This record gives sequence, structure tokens and C-alpha cells, in this order.
Amino acid sequence: MTLFLQTVLNGLVLGGIYSLAAVGFSLVFGVLGIVNLTHGIFVVAGAYGALFLFARMGIDPLLAIIPIGLVLFAVGYVYQRTIIQWAVSRASLVASLVVTFGVAMMARNGLQLVFGPDVHTITPTYSFMSLTLGPLRIDVVRIVALGASLVLLVALALVLARTHFGRAIRATAQQPLAAELSGLNVRNLHGLTFGLGAAMAGASGAIIGIVQPFTAASEVAWTLNAFIVVVLGGIGSPAGALVGGLLLGLINAFTAQYIGPSLTQAAMFLVLVLMLLVRPSGLLGNAFGESR
Amino acid sequence: MNRTLPLVIGAVIVIAAALLPLWIGPFYTRVAQLFFFSAGMAIAWNILGGFSGYWSFGHTVFIGMGAFSAAHIVNRLGPFGDGPLSMIAPILLAGLICGLFAAILAYPILRLRGIYFAIAMLGVSQVVGELVNNVSWFQGGIGVFLQTPVPSAMTPEDFFYYIFGGLLLLCFLISVAVRNSRFGYALLSIREDEDTAMMLGVATERYKIMAFVLSAILVGIMGAVYGYSVGYFTTYTVFRLDFSLNLIVFCLIGGIGTLFGPIIGTAVMLFITQVLLSRFLDIHLLITGAMVVAIILLMPGGIIGALSFRKRRANQAEPAAAEARA
Repeated sequence: MTLFLQTVLNGLVLGGIYSLAAVGFSLVFGVLGIVNLTHGIFVVAGAYGALFLFARMGIDPLLAIIPIGLVLFAVGYVYQRTIIQWAVSRASLVASLVVTFGVAMMARNGLQLVFGPDVHTITPTYSFMSLTLGPLRIDVVRIVALGASLVLLVALALVLARTHFGRAIRATAQQPLAAELSGLNVRNLHGLTFGLGAAMAGASGAIIGIVQPFTAASEVAWTLNAFIVVVLGGIGSPAGALVGGLLLGLINAFTAQYIGPSLTQAAMFLVLVLMLLVRPSGLLGNAFGESR
Repeated sequence: MNRTLPLVIGAVIVIAAALLPLWIGPFYTRVAQLFFFSAGMAIAWNILGGFSGYWSFGHTVFIGMGAFSAAHIVNRLGPFGDGPLSMIAPILLAGLICGLFAAILAYPILRLRGIYFAIAMLGVSQVVGELVNNVSWFQGGIGVFLQTPVPSAMTPEDFFYYIFGGLLLLCFLISVAVRNSRFGYALLSIREDEDTAMMLGVATERYKIMAFVLSAILVGIMGAVYGYSVGYFTTYTVFRLDFSLNLIVFCLIGGIGTLFGPIIGTAVMLFITQVLLSRFLDIHLLITGAMVVAIILLMPGGIIGALSFRKRRANQAEPAAAEARA
């Protein structure tokens, strides 16, 4: 029983991180309709950024979220307004899949050239502490990571639900043409949404850096994780990302515990394929469903 | 239509290719062999992805399945005769196994469209790869041997050069036959608008499954031969994400959905990566990625698309119709 509870706990904590790492992807997919294969790069870039700030200037990774988020927001905005916008307008929406894939290849190679192929971890002072809760044990970093993820997810949900900016994003997602007719600058909003997604990914990267080892090559895994989370939970909403992420975390933890740690990927993809076949819109459906 | 000219040109190319290993050294024979292998697979991918518009991001599953099937057939059931001809039965059986797998998989997975199909295929390739790697019966983790009975008069490079060359020719001819048949037109109609095609009485479901199975068989056969050509392989030699993605990139650069696009795209990309950049291995990905982005932005129809666009510009007779088609 203790083992079961411990596995649940591990799964939920891992799931919180998956949720945060996927929410930006989900937003971009829901609003722009683009499967952004560069997403994992943003995550890994956030982790490298946190590593750089921590190693060179001693800035705590959790504080580093703010500068990383700002930088990645700018990068994401420019990237969407230039390359992705061009690809969508000149070729097609599916072509954006290939373009983001090409950019991801370049960026991965670039990161490898700059930081080397080694596996990195960020180790702040609290990284070796752990709490005990009865028979259960949990690392402090993981609690911190989960807490930060939840705070950021709630903040994003509030922005989307309560602010003018959030309403504009939702309107653009539902009906780009109508949104434009109502006086919204849709191109600008697309860029801002993409930037927001990139910033969330970078923030999650800074948190992931203190919980898990990372390399430039782990971007593929983070992109795929984000996709699985979105398919499980549903497109476009922080709640969907949270549900999908927690589910993925549980699947991962239970497979590793009871079936075998080498089969976690297979289990994740099996669930993905089954979910696509049974309920392609995800557990919570498409938050912007009317438009597609 | 004049049919003799293409036939003559084709015959000349085939004869030239057959004589080529006499002039070029072993290194370039290997490059050419890689080209035949990749172009053949790109054509097989193109039958599904190009004609019917179902982009598979996991075709490496059939390469791996073909190679492992052939290895297990040979190692567990014993060789089928001796000499080079003993390869035929395992290779064909491997193709058959891939076809069977595709036929079973096709019904559920082809219900998905677009990006969802692409990612689901990626998922399938990952699941099968992990299973082969971790279930000890498949021996994917420790690797399997597949000895090639190379005839004594030939070097292995030359031997596989001819085999892959023959397979490329086979794939190309099948692709041409498909493209010009009712089957091919049905696939194109699925690509253009699946719902309308279905409404007009095209048996979309059946044609999609046929294309998927055909593509799987061809890739499986080539995977089996690839297994022979490397001799010893583990899961990660044959279940490789970059195989799946390269096929798409090759087709994309040449021109997706065209007959010659996959061949031209493969030739261009392999020339750049294997010959021009063979010394810059650490920026390989950077260059490939940049090429992919540049191709999409500058010529979304690939090289073939860009060429035919020029031609269309030149004879302005039907610009509007052509634009509408593009």
C-alpha cells in the first residue's frame, strides 16, 4: 500500500511538471492550429538558461524564471511573426510542422555546439533535502517544482479567463475572421500567444533543470510529452494540460514501478494511440471547439 | 503521347547505373547504394504520404520490422538453400509480415487524419521499437546477426549496389503504375478532399488501406535487405527516428506527390550531406534543418514544384487553372 501511494505521489509530482511543460504547446495548438515541434527546444533552452544564470551569477533557478520567460517571450514572438507566419502563408498549416521541425534540428545542433553534448543538472542548495510524510518520502525540489508549476498554470488560466488580452486570445482562436472584424489585430495576437507559449515552456525548463538531468537532445522527448499531454487532456486550456499532465505522470510512474522502467515510453505512446482512437479531442475536449 | 523516348532514356540510365561501379571506387559505390536504398524508401513513403496525403512520421517501424523479421526467419527457421538466392524467401516473408502488420494496424489508425495520423504513426514506431528492444525474445537489445551470402566473385558493396538498384527500379515502376491507375487517382482524390471523394463514391477506406499496406511491404522488403547489408544490428540500428524523418525531408525537397520528386530530393540531400559535408559531421543537423526551412519558405512544392512553376510561368496559357491547382 505504501508503495502504491508513493507511486501515486511520484506520478502526480512528475505530472505537474509535464503539465507546465505542455501548456504552452497546448495554447499554440489551440489558438494557431500549429503543432510546434520547436516546443521542446524552448523547454531545453529554459533549462540551459537557468543553468547559465545559476552557474555564472548564482541566481536561483526559480527566480531565473522571470528573465528566461521574458527572453523566450521575445524569441517566440519574433519567431512566429517571421518564419512560422511565412511558412503558413506561403505553403500550408501542415508545412509549419516541417518548418518547426527544421528549426528544432538547427537549434538542437546549435545548443550542442554551445553547451556541449554532456548531461547537465542544476543543483541549488535545497536539491538534496527531502520531506517525510508518514511512510512516504518526497524531495523538496519536487515539491517546489510542483508548486511553481501550479502557480504558473493558475496564473495563465486567470490571464486567459479574466483579462482583455485573454479574451482576445480566445476570440482569435474561435473565429480569426470575426475577431479581426471586431478590431483585434489577429497577427499580433498570434505572435503574442506564441510568445506566451514559449515563455511558459522556458519557465518549465528552468524548473525541470533542478528536477531532472537534461541535454540538448532531450528536446525531442519534451515535444512528444507535450503532444501526449495535449491529446490526453484536450487542446487549448490550462485545465486540459493539467489533467493530461497528471495522467501522463501517473502512467509514467506506474509503468516504471510495476512493469519496468524501460517500458515507460512504450506505455505512454500506447495510451496516446488508444486515446487518439477512442476520444481524439481529449478528456476535456477542445477549449476552442467551435472553430475546428 | 510519345512513349518511346522515356523508355529509351530509362534504359540508358539503367545500363549506365549497372556499369557505374566499374568506374567509381568503393566509397562512392557505398554512397550510391545508400542513395538507392533511401530513394526506394522515399518512393514507398510517397505512395502513402504523397499520393493520399497521409504523412507517416513512423515509417521506420517497417524498416525495423522487416530487418528483424528476416533475421529471425533465417536464424530460427534456418537458411533457405544456399548462395545469394537464399535471401529471397526471408526478404519476401519479411515484406509479407510488414504488410500483414500494416493491414491490421490500418483500420484503426487510418481513421485519424493529418497531424494526428502523423503523430500516431510516430507513436506506433516508438512502441514497437521499445518492445523489440525490451522483450528478450526479439533480441533487439543485444542485436541479431544476418549473414549475407555474397557471391565470391563480387565485393559486398557491388552486390548490395545491384540489389538496392533493382529494388529502387521496382519501387519506381510500382509507383508509376499506381499513379496512372484508378487506384492512384483515388489516392489523389483522397488527398485533395477525402469527404468529397467518399461522397462521390470513391471507396476511400479501402484505397487508403491498400496504399498503407503497399507502402509497408515495400519498406519492409527494403528494411530486410538493409538488415542483410549491415550484417549485425540492434533495435537502434533500424528503428530510428531519423530514418522516418529523412524520408519526409527527401520527398519534401524533391516534391511531395510527384513521381520523380523522391528520387531527386534524395539525390540532392545525400549529395549535400554525404559528399559536400562529409567532413562537417558536427553541424550536419544544422545544415539539414536550414535546408528544410529554406525549401519550405522558398519553394513549397519542392524542386519539381519550382520547375513546373517556371514552366507554367513560361506558357501563360492556363495560369488561372494552374494557380488554382497549386
